[in-house]
Amino acid sequence: MPVSRRGFLRIVGPGAAMPISGAVLAARGLEAHLAEAQTQGRRARPVLPPGVEEIRISSNENPLGPGKAALDAILRKFPEGGRYPFNSTPSETDLVAAIAAKHKVKPDNVVVGAGSQEILKNAVRVFTGPGRGLITASPSFENCVATAKRLNHPITEVAVDSAFRLDLGPMLTASQGGGLVFLNNPNNPTATVHGIKAVTEFIEGLQRTSPGTAVLIDEAYHDYVTDPSYESAIPLALELPNVFVTRTFSKAYGMAGMRVGYAVGRAYTIRRLLTLKMPYNVSVFGVAAAIAAIGDQKHIDQERARNTEVRGFTIAALKDMSCKPADSQGNFLFADIGRPAKEFRDACAKSGVMVGRDFPPFERTHVRISIGTMDEMRKATEVFRSVLAALRTVTTTASAEKDRK
Amino acid sequence: MLSRRSFVRTVGIGAAAYIGARGRENSIWSALEPSLLALEPGTICLASNENPLGPGTTVLDAVKAAFGPTGAKPGRYDGSSGDLIDAIAKKQGVKPENIVLGCGSTQILRSATHLFTAKDKPLVGTIPTYEECAGYAEMMGNPVRPVPLDNGFTIDLGRFADAAKGAGLVFYCNPNNPTATYVGARATREFLAKVTRESPGTTILIDEAYFDYVTDPDHDTHIPIAVDNPRVIVARTFSKAYGMAGLRMGYAVGHPETIKKMAEWDGGYGTSSLNVLAMRGGLAAIQQDASVIAAERSRNKAVREFTMKWFADRGMKPTDSQANFMFVNIGRPAKEFREACKTKAILVARDFPPFEKTHCRISFGTMEEMRKAVGVFDEVLSKKATAA
Repeated sequence: MPVSRRGFLRIVGPGAAMPISGAVLAARGLEAHLAEAQTQGRRARPVLPPGVEEIRISSNENPLGPGKAALDAILRKFPEGGRYPFNSTPSETDLVAAIAAKHKVKPDNVVVGAGSQEILKNAVRVFTGPGRGLITASPSFENCVATAKRLNHPITEVAVDSAFRLDLGPMLTASQGGGLVFLNNPNNPTATVHGIKAVTEFIEGLQRTSPGTAVLIDEAYHDYVTDPSYESAIPLALELPNVFVTRTFSKAYGMAGMRVGYAVGRAYTIRRLLTLKMPYNVSVFGVAAAIAAIGDQKHIDQERARNTEVRGFTIAALKDMSCKPADSQGNFLFADIGRPAKEFRDACAKSGVMVGRDFPPFERTHVRISIGTMDEMRKATEVFRSVLAALRTVTTTASAEKDRK
Repeated sequence: MLSRRSFVRTVGIGAAAYIGARGRENSIWSALEPSLLALEPGTICLASNENPLGPGTTVLDAVKAAFGPTGAKPGRYDGSSGDLIDAIAKKQGVKPENIVLGCGSTQILRSATHLFTAKDKPLVGTIPTYEECAGYAEMMGNPVRPVPLDNGFTIDLGRFADAAKGAGLVFYCNPNNPTATYVGARATREFLAKVTRESPGTTILIDEAYFDYVTDPDHDTHIPIAVDNPRVIVARTFSKAYGMAGLRMGYAVGHPETIKKMAEWDGGYGTSSLNVLAMRGGLAAIQQDASVIAAERSRNKAVREFTMKWFADRGMKPTDSQANFMFVNIGRPAKEFREACKTKAILVARDFPPFEKTHCRISFGTMEEMRKAVGVFDEVLSKKATAA
């Protein structure tokens, strides 16, 4: 065996003689915590008061992280940290094959990215141009817009409808002659979803009226959807040219920090994205973890059920505070708190609760809240309750004073 | 993956003619090749210029710590790119604004090629050299201007400087991959000054991937020049002496304006292409005592001397290697040698045209691996070459 593999025990030490799992990591808790503390640099978040733990519900992450199968797979790859991903076992080719098998497609229907963000960036670079702009919703995930801005390619943002859903009719009109349509379904930050019928009609309508326009359906939150009318658009992508679906391991799979995403589409469409794919873009750990995670569908089903329950709890609590969220089909929700997100965010942060950034044009009224664990959301909703009560008092007092003047 | 062969295929015919003859689409598709197969257990990999010992305990401990107490941390987008940038800046004696991180130096090489080449601003590279920049330029449809090496397989600085005139980007790989030869620090400084003077619009990307393996006394980094001169960039990687090829982390050092351009194009801020394990591992790696890399350098030097002597003793003199690999005339096609070695579980490198009929690149493993490998080389090379 190569030295690197034989050296495993030497490298990871006596602990490795035990079955390697999340439990071993848990046993290492204090050490890991100290290492973490040491790495806090000047860009780290401000330190919270003693006894206050951070509840990070700002980035639509899975609070539990990767499943056990993925963690085990990462740890087993420690001896191969020095090998390029094409030399490791499994290799990046095996990851493409595993994704292809999951979706019952061929490897040439798949391109892997360092997160789906690499694919989003490359899609804008490939499919938009000075006269072929990007069409997206407002608000929606901003990554494609940021790339198009850098390239100086035209951007059309179409407002969401009154239910905070992508407004597909006006989007279709705006897409005529465009380069790329970004269709985030469920849509971040509004968490709303369109059923497969509406998506199909949109894409077929676009192919009829503007066949040169590509469509990227970003299904990052696919695994969290519970609306029965929703289905993946992958079958459409395999049927039609210039249509592709992106997925990520950053959400339900709990691997945001590992940077693994992919796109599925017809081979010709995928080849266009492959031209800009960075070689060796996923680490040996990411490759191994993603393959293991694909093989552990039970973990995803459990994560969906967990999220659905906590989401229901959080929505009920917010309704009780008279903050009506849009219909959430993700691991986050978009709630009308009736005041600027920044005010609310800053007040919550003082209690260690971190909520989402501003999402114009709704930053004066709406906040995006990610769904943490049930325990986290019980604590967070209590913080929301007291923060909103305090802000309402301030507002009431201020308007009363204004009335007196 | 872009083909490593496509560079030479292209430049051999002339990039413009090649692309013109087959159409740009064809040239793009021809650049795709399947990934290499994963290693079989028991195989000794001398094909990819990796550090055979991997990252070492300190880095792997940091990687483990990055999981957090419950293993949940990789589920979070990690914000520690700033910490890594600070640590690299400290190590290199520069400011954080002089650094941009990449998903391996691959991302750095691609960003630079994207930003500094154009239809009328060619890429200049030696032939052969590491193919990433040329492959990307070819894919963009931007011209590639190849410059042959000298008789010692070293960069021919005079011809290189001439070719640099009017170019967009000069890719200066030193030590040069695959030939392992090295241009001394003084000569490189003179080259940089000359190109900057004669072709002020040309950017020079110095790839110092193998910097830590150089033992030549006239050795120095060109980072101090890069931070002052917006037209000079130095690329570094954690994939070689730091043994972290599997983690994907590299960086560029340069003038703040140049670095800003690269960051804006493709850099991201830690939640984009950079994984948390690489960021935390990289942080631990760069903060290690200098003796760690010095030890790796002397380990490699001993293996290098052993392997080069073995070949020289048999009348096959390798080029003067200053890296963790060597380029040697084996008097037969690399493919034939490679395939024969592969049947004995030894992997050596791909073809490097125009020398694929005679030369092979061999990475250095551990001493133990090389002792085994030369046994296989002996067996393979003792058989008469079928075609030379």
